[in-house]
Formats: sequence, structure tokens, C-alpha cells
Amino acid sequence: MTETVATRLRKRFHGPKYLLALPAIIWYLLFFALPIAFIVFYSFGTKDSTKLLPVDFSHLSTHSYSAVFDETFFKTFRGTLRIAVIATTLCVLIGLPVAYFAAFKVPEKWKAIILAAVVVPSFTSFLIRTVAWRIPLAPNGTFSKWLIGMGWIGQNGIQILETPLAVQIAIVYNYLGFMILPLFVALDRIDVRMREASKDLGAGRVATFFGVTLPLAGPGIVAGVLLTFIPMCGDYVTATVLGGAKGNMIGAMIASQFSGAQNWPLGSAMAILMIAAVLLSLGVGFIAMKIVPLVSSLASPAVQNLRRKMHARALEQAKHVKPSTRTKIEVLPKVLGVWTVLVLVFLFIPILLVFLHSFNNGGSFTIWSGKSSTKWWGELFNGSEMLGVLVRFAALLVIGVVIKRLLKGRDNVPKFVSSWIVVVSFVLALILNGFMTEWYRTIFDFTGIGDAIRNSFIAAFGATVIAVIIGGMSGVALARRPGRWTTFFMATVFLILVTPEIMDAVALATWFPRIKEIPLVGIIFTSGWGPFNGGINKLWVGQSLYASAVVTLIVRARLAGIDESLEEAAGDLGAPPGRAFRQITLPLIASAMVAGGLLSFALCLDNAVISTLISEAGSTTFPVALLGATRSTIKPFWGVGAALLFIVTLSALWFLAVILRRGGDSASKIAATFTGGS
Amino acid sequence: MATENSKQNPKQLNMLAPDSFREKLSRRAFLQGGTALAGFALIAAACGSSSSDGGATTDTAAAGSTDGLASGDWSRVINTASGELAMYTWGDYNDPELVGALAASTLSVTMKVDYYASNEDLITKLATSGGTSGFDIVVPTGPYISQMVEKGLLQKLDKSLIPNMVNVDPLYLGQAWDTTNDYSVCKNWGTTGFFYDTTKISKELTTWQDFIDTCMGEASGQCSVIDAAPNYCGMYFWANGIDWNTEDAASIDAAEKFLVDEFAQHIKAFDSYPSTKLAEGAYSIAMAWNGDARQAYVRIADAGGTPENWKWVLGAPDTELWMDNYCIPVGAPNPEAAHAWINWDLIPEISIRDLQYHGYHTGMKNMSTLIGEIAPDLEKGDMIFFGDDQVKTMHTQVITPALDRLIDILNKSKAKAGG
Repeated sequence: MTETVATRLRKRFHGPKYLLALPAIIWYLLFFALPIAFIVFYSFGTKDSTKLLPVDFSHLSTHSYSAVFDETFFKTFRGTLRIAVIATTLCVLIGLPVAYFAAFKVPEKWKAIILAAVVVPSFTSFLIRTVAWRIPLAPNGTFSKWLIGMGWIGQNGIQILETPLAVQIAIVYNYLGFMILPLFVALDRIDVRMREASKDLGAGRVATFFGVTLPLAGPGIVAGVLLTFIPMCGDYVTATVLGGAKGNMIGAMIASQFSGAQNWPLGSAMAILMIAAVLLSLGVGFIAMKIVPLVSSLASPAVQNLRRKMHARALEQAKHVKPSTRTKIEVLPKVLGVWTVLVLVFLFIPILLVFLHSFNNGGSFTIWSGKSSTKWWGELFNGSEMLGVLVRFAALLVIGVVIKRLLKGRDNVPKFVSSWIVVVSFVLALILNGFMTEWYRTIFDFTGIGDAIRNSFIAAFGATVIAVIIGGMSGVALARRPGRWTTFFMATVFLILVTPEIMDAVALATWFPRIKEIPLVGIIFTSGWGPFNGGINKLWVGQSLYASAVVTLIVRARLAGIDESLEEAAGDLGAPPGRAFRQITLPLIASAMVAGGLLSFALCLDNAVISTLISEAGSTTFPVALLGATRSTIKPFWGVGAALLFIVTLSALWFLAVILRRGGDSASKIAATFTGGS
Repeated sequence: MATENSKQNPKQLNMLAPDSFREKLSRRAFLQGGTALAGFALIAAACGSSSSDGGATTDTAAAGSTDGLASGDWSRVINTASGELAMYTWGDYNDPELVGALAASTLSVTMKVDYYASNEDLITKLATSGGTSGFDIVVPTGPYISQMVEKGLLQKLDKSLIPNMVNVDPLYLGQAWDTTNDYSVCKNWGTTGFFYDTTKISKELTTWQDFIDTCMGEASGQCSVIDAAPNYCGMYFWANGIDWNTEDAASIDAAEKFLVDEFAQHIKAFDSYPSTKLAEGAYSIAMAWNGDARQAYVRIADAGGTPENWKWVLGAPDTELWMDNYCIPVGAPNPEAAHAWINWDLIPEISIRDLQYHGYHTGMKNMSTLIGEIAPDLEKGDMIFFGDDQVKTMHTQVITPALDRLIDILNKSKAKAGG
């Protein structure tokens, strides 16, 4: 291709290839690489609890590493990997039929509904959902008593809590959604004609599934495994809430080294070895995935022969059997449908229990007292304040609707004014109500809950904005300006995904006091500014790390599938890079950024481990407060708070969906890019 | 408490609660959450607290003597402050009304409460944040205070702002970790024992040795222990007649061998607050602090169980005496409010209210008189107050270099207990 003036012009504008990723590079250097480097350094020190930070560096050694290989600790490593491998496998086995059913067996409209039903549970607090599993599993609980009454189990009731089995059940539950989504996306992209061709060529259902569908779904399975296996290995909450002594996992053990045992060197060594173990098992998994097709291709002549014979036999049979067998085949979709419904019920059980138990008359969330009452709702809310807020909200919305009606007939008003007026009045109501009267504080009678919910939203929102901006930019850079830097950058992103949260948490918590000494950055993080004083900005940093890595991957995957020719054409036609980006690239990645943003928001809203260590008294979020409450008795008002958070989040999502639909993006498109696939 | 029974002065009883006062303030109403506000308003009024300007005004209880209220022995000073007050404390450790609406209306401060699970958690939080944690009040256990002072995590209290400290029994002041109470004042104290289901465990249990034997026998896989190294190892030391503050390497080695290799595999959970899970039916025997075990009775009844089937046993032959203390961390944004709150919580009526909620002795002087007057219906008092002969068997923890070994033992036991 001959160089046009435009391309030469374009080249002159180009900075280094990683220019767009520069904000992310600086961010990761400041808040990931440097703090983590300190923690890695800690692993070579020795414990010294007389120091302010309890590590002594006077004689460095690898003692902590050898301690991990001690049989006692290593057992927990094996146990964790076993739980994670089994849970990931179960997630594939349970999720695949659901994804298959949603992708191939239902009309478009139902696809969106099934997907929404899969996603919605992850917008209730992760922690309260996990705690809710204690309700049906309690040996003295209603379910257990019923089972005893039926004579199905012994007098001791269900003996699952505080065992690895409880962790196994809840961990499958907690991550199933993250498996179904990428599976669905991968399956949904398969050209139906490929499957039809396979069948026309005589392959049966089973042969088509294993020969065509499954290989094509491969990338989705890989994405799903990455999204579930890695966080499972570092999971802290599930094991802590349900596991007891027997179901202990590495995540919880690492956390206890840093806080309870004050043995930072051992904790760091464990974390580093855990990262190695995760990478190793992923490596083994990928090698296995390469080997299986190899083996099967070697065996293919024999298999082909067998298939041909079976097909011949089937044809032979088909000649003798009447067409009535057609109805028999229709059983499969029904079975899949029933399975899907069962899985959805499974996903919603804890949420229904959270709602139910928020009406518990007793003093503990997990123990149903036999009577229902609204006293905890009453205890939490200040009725008259609440009414005032609702009235103000309704009034502003009504005004918006009325104005819209009035404007409808007139031609001299631009169209967008009338179409946005209701949305604007909603936002106005939110601002007037929220920032002027501090309703989130006053409608709650109980200390802190309103603040915690508000803090959760501000923290998650800020972190999501950061994640979408820096993640989106580096995603574009990765897909469009690859170079030697890509390897390093991708390795960093992958490390961020694999590093256990507790390690990030400790690294950041010890990093923030140090950051004062760095000019400019120090001022921002120590003086505190505007309404975001009191540690919220620290939460933005902490929560944005994982979220931005996720956005980066999603945006990159999205752009990798699209030819660069569009941008080139724009450039050739004389558009400066900025304009080409704004008018071509940005619309291309918009849906990926929205999807990444939604996922980030859900993840940040649930973030408990990092937030617990770095939050200050003024920035306690809902999961942090709830994690504190799990240390003793969880009162039913936490269920009320969780239910409320759920409702608010869902309405925010609905609101977003409305805006997006106005922007012309279809709901299924958003769902399709939700996890990026590849 | 028996120690106080002997010292009790019958005259005080009259001074404490004259009839006029009692008529105005129905005791039961005062104790029940709903009308507590009204009850408190009375006291506040009686004490002459009328400050509403939010400044650091000090109203003394002098007015009390004029309308015949108890005075003299009790100080009921209320200092008000303003702004927010953030407390970092143990789970469920104050009456929610006190740290909520009442603090707001009486002291004009908005409270935030967060919880930690161990002293180490608290220290990690304060140490890593370098004085920017934003907390105004923390509640460490006694022996950890000297360490925290050394690390520069705590600031000195301004005792002139805590005049109600005179209400604390001298027995609970001037402890080894802070002989002059420059940094701390007793919030409450308690002890350790265990709690078991008599329908599942047939033997009558009385000592730590019984507890260990049952956990390794009849209740194997159904028992929980407190998730704190000194308590967990203490159980072994007490059962074997060894001082739980021992630094003797041989004793600690023996403890490690027994706890890690033989005992750990029988443990179902390391749980410092087993009361809710006991009610769920998760354990049939649990090592517990007295206040939490007392709460378990309520939870079990809540869950439709029969509390009568459960038995509390104070650890024997020896056990622990721990004391949690109000302290103010370095860098506290609102020390004025912190002092005001600590001072307020030392008013007998407020203190007893907290006591009724958490079930721990709050260290007020003449406790039995106070209980008789303010909370005569208090149930399971024997789980809060202990006789002289019992207190004699309780020992305070001392932080020694051996603590690292004990933490190590707990750590290894946790790994070993895993399935």
C-alpha cells in the first residue's frame, strides 16, 4: 500500500504505541506493581511483632517458603485446589445445558429473560447470599426439621454446615453466573447453519454436539473457566462464612496470616505460591485442552468408522420405524427447559430467603423465629422522612411527565427535550433529594446503614468510572497498537486478576501512608477533597484494579474481532486520529465498555476484602459493615439493608437500560458483550 | 458480685433510688428499648443537662442533690460534643440504642460503629493506616495496650474530660498494662468457659479437661473453640495446671504437640462468637466467653430450641480474666466526642444498660447495689457476676515473647483441622 499524505500525517501524530495505555500503566505501577513489590519483599523477611509493621528485614531468608511446603499448610493448598477444580467442573456441567438451551432452544425474547435471571442474583450482596445458605443448611432449621420429619435423614439434622461440602455448594452457587454468561455468548455466536450442515451430513445430535458445537464453544468455556476458577482459588468469604475448620481455604488462611497471626512473611509467601499454583493449574488445563483434540484426531479414523457404522444402523432402523419417533426426540428441549428452571430456582433460593428473613421477628438473621414482622424494616427506617422523600420524588417525576405531555404536540421544541425530560427529572429528584436533604442518612434510624449504602454506591461508581476509562483506553491500545509492550502489559493484567485480594489489600493498606511522600499524588490522597473525604478515594483505587483489568480484556476482545480498516479508512479520508477515535472506534467499543462497566460495578459493589482493610471510619461500605457484623450475630436488619441495596441496584440498572435503549443499543447486544467472549 | 456484697453499704441503697425517683422512672420501662428514650430524658433532665449548643459544655450532677436524687457516690456528668464519632469495636458490644439515637440526642454526636474480630486485626488496621484510620474510639483487650502504646497507636486520655471515671471500681483501674489509666479505662471484663448440649453429651462436665476429653470423644467434629491463640492454648494449659502465661519452652512444645497433632482434627470450627451457630445447631459444645454464652440462651429460644438443655460451665480449675478498655487512637479526628462518649458510658444507668445488652461486668463500683436498683430482673446473673472463689481462679493475660509461639500453634492447628 502506498503511503498517502493522510497516513504520513497520521504517523506524525502518533506517540509511542502504548500512549493510550499510559494512564493504566501509571495507575498499575503506582497502585499495583510498587505496593505488591513491597509485599513480595516481605516474604523474605522474618516476623517481628514488636515493629509497627511486623516484619524484620535484617536477615533475609526463604524460610517462609519452606514453611508453606510443610505438610500442615500444604494440605489447605490441595484442599482449595480440589474445591476450585470440582466447582469449576460442576459449573461447566450445570451451566452448559442452561447456556445451550438459552442459545438454541428458545426465541429471542426468552434469551434476554433467561440471561437477566442469571445475572440478577449477582446484584445482591455476595456476602449476604453466602450467609443465607446457612438458613436451609442449619441442622435445627425448618428444612432440616422437615427432612427429619419425613424420616429421610437422621435425628441430628443436616450435617453440611462447617464442612467442605457447604463451601462446595455455595461456591458453585456464587460463581455459576460467571460461567453461564460466557458460555451463552460463545454458543450464541455459533452459526446455526454449521449445526444444520452437520446434521444434514448425517451426524446425530450427540455427534453434532461433540463434533461441532463444543469445539466452537471452546473460547467461551475458556473465558468461563478463567472467570470462575481464579476468583474461587482466592475466595475468602465463602470459606469464612460456611467452611468452619474443615472447609478452610487458602484465601482465608492468607488473610489470617496478615491480620490474626501477624505473620506477614508467611502470608506473602503463601500468596505468591498460590499465584504460582493457579498459573500452574491453568497451564496444565490448557495443555490438556491441546492434547485432547490431538488424541482425538489421531483416533479419528477409528471413530469415523464407528460413526459411519452407527449411522448406517440408525438409517436401517429409521426405515423400519414409523415417523412417530419424531415426538420422542422433542423430549430433549423439555429436559433442558426443566433443567434451566431448576438452575434458576437454585440461583434465586438465597435471595428469596434474604427477603423472607428480613421479615423475621427474632433477633438473628439466620434463625427464623416462627413469626414474621416488619419490625426490622420499621427499626431501620424513619417512616415520616421516608414518606417525605417518596413524595418529593413522585412530585418531581409527575412534573416531568406533565411537561412531556405539554410539549408533545408542539413542533418548535427539539425532539430530544421531550424524550429526555422524564429522565432528567428523575436525576433532578435524586440530586435534590439526595444531596440537599441527605435523605439517605435521615430515613435510616439505624446508625450507619444509610451511610454504608451510600458509600458503597459512591465507591463503586467512582471505581467503575476509573476502570472504564483506563481499561477502555488500554483495551484499544492492546488491540490496535500491539508491540513488545503488549506482553508486559497483558502479563500485568493477568497478574492483577490472579493476585488474591487479601494481598492487594495489605499491599495497598501499607502503601497509602507511604504515598504522602510522593508529590502531587500524595496531596490528592492525603488531604481529601470535596464530598469524597474520608477514604472514599482510597476505595476507588482499591476497587478499580480488578475492575479495570476486566474492562481491558472485554474491550480488547471486542476490538480484536473487528477489522481496523474502518479506522484506516477514516484516516485516509483525512480524519485526524482524535476524530477517527471519537467517531469510529468509540462507537465500536461502546457496548463493550457498558458491559465492562456493569460487570465492574457489580464487582465493586460487592468488594469486601480490599475495602475492609483500606476503608476508613468515614468510608465504610455495606459489605465492609456486613463483614464486621458476621463476626458476631447478624441481625435481620442486614437482610433489610441487602434487600434495599438489591432494589436500588436493580432500579439503577433498569434506568441505565432505558438510557441505553434510547441510545439505540439492543439489550441482547449488551448481554452478548457482557463477558467479552473472544 | 460477692466481693461487693461484703462491702455493700445499706445506706447507699436508699440514696441511690429514692422513692420519688423510682415513681417517675418505672425501672422496667427504662430497661425496655421502646421507652428508654423517655427514661433517659428523665435522667438527663435530673442531671441538669440542657446544653443544646453543641459546644463542650459541662453540666455537673450538682442539681441532682437538690431534688433528692442519688448523688455523692455517683458522678453523672454529661459532656456534649459535636460532629461524628467513629468507634471500632468488637461485634455487638454496645446497646444499639446507645450508639445510635441516644448518643445523637444526648451528646449531639452521630455515631458510626465498625467491628473487628481480634486484637491483631485492630492493631493491623491502626498500624497500616498510619494514623489515618479515622476512628475515635477503639476497644483493645488490656494486655495489648502496652504494645499499642509502644507502637505509638494510642493517645493519652484527658482525664479531666472523664470525671465519671470515679464510678469505676478501683479494682478495675490501674491494671498492669496501664497502671495510671493514662491511655485506657475499663469498658467491661469477662471470662472464658464452655457451653454444651446436655441432650447430646451425657457426661456432666466441669473442667477444661472434661471439655478436651468430650471434644476428642463424644463430641468429636461437633465442637468449636475460640479463635484466639491465648484462649485456645490456655485451654490446654489450664487443664494441665500450667500457668497460661508460661514462657517455658518445654510446656509450649508439649502444648503444640497435643493441640496440633492430637486435638485439632476434632475441631469443627474456630469461632469466637458461637452463640448464633449454637442455636442453628452447628455445634453441641463450644468454648465461649461468658457474655456470648449468655446470649446463646436467647438465640436458642429464638430458634425454637430448649435453652434448659444447655449448660454453661466456667473454665476450671483455672481460666481467664480479660478486660476490654476504651482507648483513643492517635490521629482520632474527634477526640472531644470520644471523651464525651467514654465519660457518658461510665454513668451507672448507661453502663448497666450496656451490661444488660452484652452480658459482661462493666466494672462499676457497688455493682450488686446498682443491679438491684436498676435491673432487678436481670436473668442469668451468675454468668455475669462471679463469686470471690471463682474470681480467684481467673488470671489476666500477660504479653510475653511466647505469644508468637501460641499464635503459631493456633495457625498450625487451623491448617491441621482442615478436611
